[in-house]
Amino acid sequence: MKSLSPALWTEILKMRRSKVPLFTAIGFSIAPLMGGLFMIILKDPEAAKSMGLISAKAQLMVGVADWPTFFNILSQAVAVGGAILFAIVTIWVFGREFSDRTAKELLALPTSREAIVTAKFIVIGVWTFLLSLFIFGLGLIVGALVDIPGWSIALLRSASVDVLGSAVLVIALLPFVAFIASMGRGYLPPFGWTILTVALAQIAIITGWGDWFPWSVSALFSGAVGPRAEILGLHSYGIVFLASVLALAATFYWWRNADQTK
Amino acid sequence: MSNFAIETNGLTKRFGDVLAVDHVDLRVGVGEIYGFLGLNGAGKTTTIRALLGMIRPSEGNVKVLGQPVGPNGRGPWAQVGHLVENPSAYPELTVRENLDMARRLQGIQNPKVVDEAMAALSIASYADRKAGTLSSGNFQRLGLARAMLHSPELLILDEPANGLDPAGVVEIRELIKSLAQEKGVTIFMSSHILTEVDRIATRIGIIHKGKLIEEWDTEKREQLRTKRLEIRARNLEGAFISMQSAGFKPVIKDETILIEHVHAIDFPDDIVRILVNAGAPPIHLAVVQENLEDYFLKLTNGPSLQAQVTKQSPTQVEIASSPKNDSSQ
Repeated sequence: MKSLSPALWTEILKMRRSKVPLFTAIGFSIAPLMGGLFMIILKDPEAAKSMGLISAKAQLMVGVADWPTFFNILSQAVAVGGAILFAIVTIWVFGREFSDRTAKELLALPTSREAIVTAKFIVIGVWTFLLSLFIFGLGLIVGALVDIPGWSIALLRSASVDVLGSAVLVIALLPFVAFIASMGRGYLPPFGWTILTVALAQIAIITGWGDWFPWSVSALFSGAVGPRAEILGLHSYGIVFLASVLALAATFYWWRNADQTK
Repeated sequence: MSNFAIETNGLTKRFGDVLAVDHVDLRVGVGEIYGFLGLNGAGKTTTIRALLGMIRPSEGNVKVLGQPVGPNGRGPWAQVGHLVENPSAYPELTVRENLDMARRLQGIQNPKVVDEAMAALSIASYADRKAGTLSSGNFQRLGLARAMLHSPELLILDEPANGLDPAGVVEIRELIKSLAQEKGVTIFMSSHILTEVDRIATRIGIIHKGKLIEEWDTEKREQLRTKRLEIRARNLEGAFISMQSAGFKPVIKDETILIEHVHAIDFPDDIVRILVNAGAPPIHLAVVQENLEDYFLKLTNGPSLQAQVTKQSPTQVEIASSPKNDSSQ
């Protein structure tokens, strides 16, 4: 795909000039910062008592102040918060072309539509993965500043798998958001889709079908309801992969064949 | 290559039950400036989108610069520039960045084309302004600059004069003319500014309810224009009666007698003689041509001249309700 390079250049320029990367980074930073706050509260029970409801909530939610708990907060934040924030990135990359009515400028060009869609997916993939790395890195800094006990290199390795694995499972399903943003020609339909899938993922987990529902797999992988080896099987990863391929194919097909009237 | 820059055969587009374009056969020759006229919803933009491969025809086919368009939106786009509906640009990018992006997507290596396009469209002084802060006129110029950036062989422009001030309209008209005359660029442009199209187009196609109902070249347009003799006189009633008596079937509009009879137009001196003899000498006598707008409205069943006259006053209703002279034009 020789025209990929200019398409990629233009997508990166749009991203660089936008404030959306900054906003998503700031929004996502809340997770490690809140996690750090919980750790401070849990480390000092007297202070926790004096803080009343917040400390009670912290005790209820996270249990003890140690690195495994802190990493668990981070991986769950990526699995659940990422589902929303990464979707916002995707909605912006695809949906803005219709909201700004610039989609029509991308259709009758020597640069193929496939190259343009591929470039968009590459930007989304790299951007969201970098966001995940940023959260993980920020989490390490916050954890070190708070001086959380229980650190080990082995724990760092397993936490990396938890956080970044959760991120990859969320990113794999973003093509659905891209497809809905393209087909819906704007921002609202993919937002609706994102809220729907987050809600359905919770229901699937509660009813015990989470391992078969693609949008639940990342939360289960993050350890939200226990060790993932006991819940997830190959079929869970397979279904995420299949869903991802299906949505990618649907998005490419739509850009190639749908009537572009906006 | 075909002799046509644009060629459609039975181009038809349905959106559900709505027939937006109905078996349109277009032939636009290389180097032509083709004006594409139609009321709102007539099918202009749908046709333009089909020409650019943005929508798939329900029936028929499209060839641009001798190459078939589609499937999957493929076409000779490196040689085609376009402006579809309202221009669009990324608001957070500067004018230069928007054009540089278009340059790269067009596969042009030379970055100087961006400066040349900005100079041609008089937006060089806005090069570093964000597109979102431009006035609608300059935004339109940016859209045109993007369309012309790669020196295309064919320019497809949907309402190119939209949002421009009168000086801008003249400037763009001259630019389009010079592109066609000096560089041999084929122009296919739709517009609702009919007088503009009339001034610039070598051929005009009228689309109505999805059908290409007529095409006029310059010569045919001249033939089709109705010439009229306008008469004003202090004794308007006497002048009117004398013209009626002479068999010219006059109508009155805005205190002016209008006659479409060929003899009256070709021999206005005879008319002057009749009026003077009737004691109603003219204070104004002129042969005027009906403009394209009136023709267009008649053709598309819009409000006609007679209908407009009918609205003036009860006396004029009576006058205007008389049948038109068949011998005129």
